[in-house]
Amino acid sequence: MNWATRYPGWAMFAAMAGLLAFLWGLAIPLAAAPEPIGPAAEQFADGARITVWLTLVAGSSGIVIGVLAGVGKLSRFWPLRRLCDAYVWLIRGTPLLLQILFVWLAAPSILPEDIVLSDFACAAIALALNVGAYNTECVRAGILAVPWGQVEAARALGLTPVQTFMDVVLPQSMRVALPALANNLASLVKDSSLAYAISVVELTMVGYRVQAESYQPIPVFVTTAVIYLILTTAFTTLTAALEAQLNTGQQR
Amino acid sequence: MNSPAPSPDTSLRPIIEARQVDKRFGSFHALKKVSAVFYEGQVTAIVGPSGSGKSTFLRTLNRLETHDSGEIVIDGIVLNDDLKNLDAIRREVGMVFQSFNLFTHLTILRNITLAPMRVRKMERAAAEQKARTLLERVGLLSQADKYPVQLSGGQQQRVAIARALAMDPKVLLFDEPTSALDPEMVNEVLAVMRELAYSGITMLVVTHEMGFAREVADRIIFFDDGVILEDTTPEVFFTQAEHERARAFLSQVRHGF
Ligand SMILES: Nc1ncnc2c1ncn2[C@@H]1O[C@H](COP(=O)(O)OP(=O)(O)OP(=O)(O)O)[C@@H](O)[C@H]1O
Ligand SMILES: [Mg+2]
Repeated sequence: MNWATRYPGWAMFAAMAGLLAFLWGLAIPLAAAPEPIGPAAEQFADGARITVWLTLVAGSSGIVIGVLAGVGKLSRFWPLRRLCDAYVWLIRGTPLLLQILFVWLAAPSILPEDIVLSDFACAAIALALNVGAYNTECVRAGILAVPWGQVEAARALGLTPVQTFMDVVLPQSMRVALPALANNLASLVKDSSLAYAISVVELTMVGYRVQAESYQPIPVFVTTAVIYLILTTAFTTLTAALEAQLNTGQQR
Repeated sequence: MNSPAPSPDTSLRPIIEARQVDKRFGSFHALKKVSAVFYEGQVTAIVGPSGSGKSTFLRTLNRLETHDSGEIVIDGIVLNDDLKNLDAIRREVGMVFQSFNLFTHLTILRNITLAPMRVRKMERAAAEQKARTLLERVGLLSQADKYPVQLSGGQQQRVAIARALAMDPKVLLFDEPTSALDPEMVNEVLAVMRELAYSGITMLVVTHEMGFAREVADRIIFFDDGVILEDTTPEVFFTQAEHERARAFLSQVRHGF
């Protein structure tokens, strides 16, 4: 990861471009592979795209949730603090699969009749809520790591509490929280596979279907694993580069 | 409190009026009905033993600490829970801290431009121009694009002073600005403060630098156990302090604790 930290801008660009090229070009090399992979190349490419899409949607919503709940946990308003505590406790104390099933099965009875959530949306919501709870703890730790003196300095300069948070606290707490958030995002790539349980056709589901048709689990699951490895590596590189970018001002 | 307050020039305008300010931390009585009026252009040194309430008093003046009772009026604005008043006051009162408190994720230049751009809605170009002028004034123009960690303590404190000045405050509060510095860096910060004092800005300086207080201050306030025990001129304070506590404090300071 040395290269990524030395040239963070380029690494971020390369990881992003590489990821997109990989997703859209994936079917071409796979098509050339022998049975049972070759014929299913398009399916693998579609599955990988769904996995990445699910990760990005749930991951970015999860960061927003994490920041909101992380701030809420530090609020002076105790009902809000309790609410955020309860949310984290609930999510971290129950299995992700249960949460996915719950959203999928409970959403229709909670939401008004005319709003119908797709399977994908249910999976994205459950994953966002899940990763958001884990992010909450990281964000909270990050905020607590910002020296209180800087908050006082900002307030003394006349910045409002919101300006102080956005300009002084958030950027610095993100830098502290980023390694842990990146970890959560990499886990999310893998956790998104549980969406197969509510019939979202993501990468693991594709692998399962292809092996069910071909009865050749080894090449199919090896291919699936390699695609996951490439995706997690791309996400890790991306976040390592972002971390290096945010690190400016920390070292001499 | 019964020592003669320095009779100010009648042309001077009061800029900070503290009346019967009281503050407790739990059962600890940190400020006991403290009253003092500070006039425009005056440089006041606030001295006293550790824990006597100097920082607490300074911090109540821009509401980093809320007072329990009494009244604080800054440039005609009453300091209370009204956020509009608070914003107005914080724009007029700058503060320099013992631990500098620069924003570590921002360059020196951005540290200085942040508040003028956010609070005073200044254009970036104008804010940067102003920041550079201030950096030149504190002798750090060449450091504009560095980050705080790359500077020495003395340099960081000079940046913190420039950052406070960028808001054009009417009053500058200093809480032991040189106490966290290595001895060889104390003078560069005091030199900047001396220059400021002569430029006519109102300053309240909590300090243990008696030489500086004696030379630069127009007025000395001695805090002890949450009350102002002496409020007088440097000449009187250093030669004929009224209270035994003040004389004991002075002899202790002279003998370097
Ligand atoms: N936030 C706080 N909570 C509880 N007690 C506090 C708090 N801030 C200050 N105190 C107490 O109030 C008293 C006065 O503190 P203050 O910081 O004003 O003293 P000081 O005169 O500035 O001393 P020093 O020279 O050590 O800085 C001290 O005994 C301190 O322990
Ligand atoms: Mg103090």
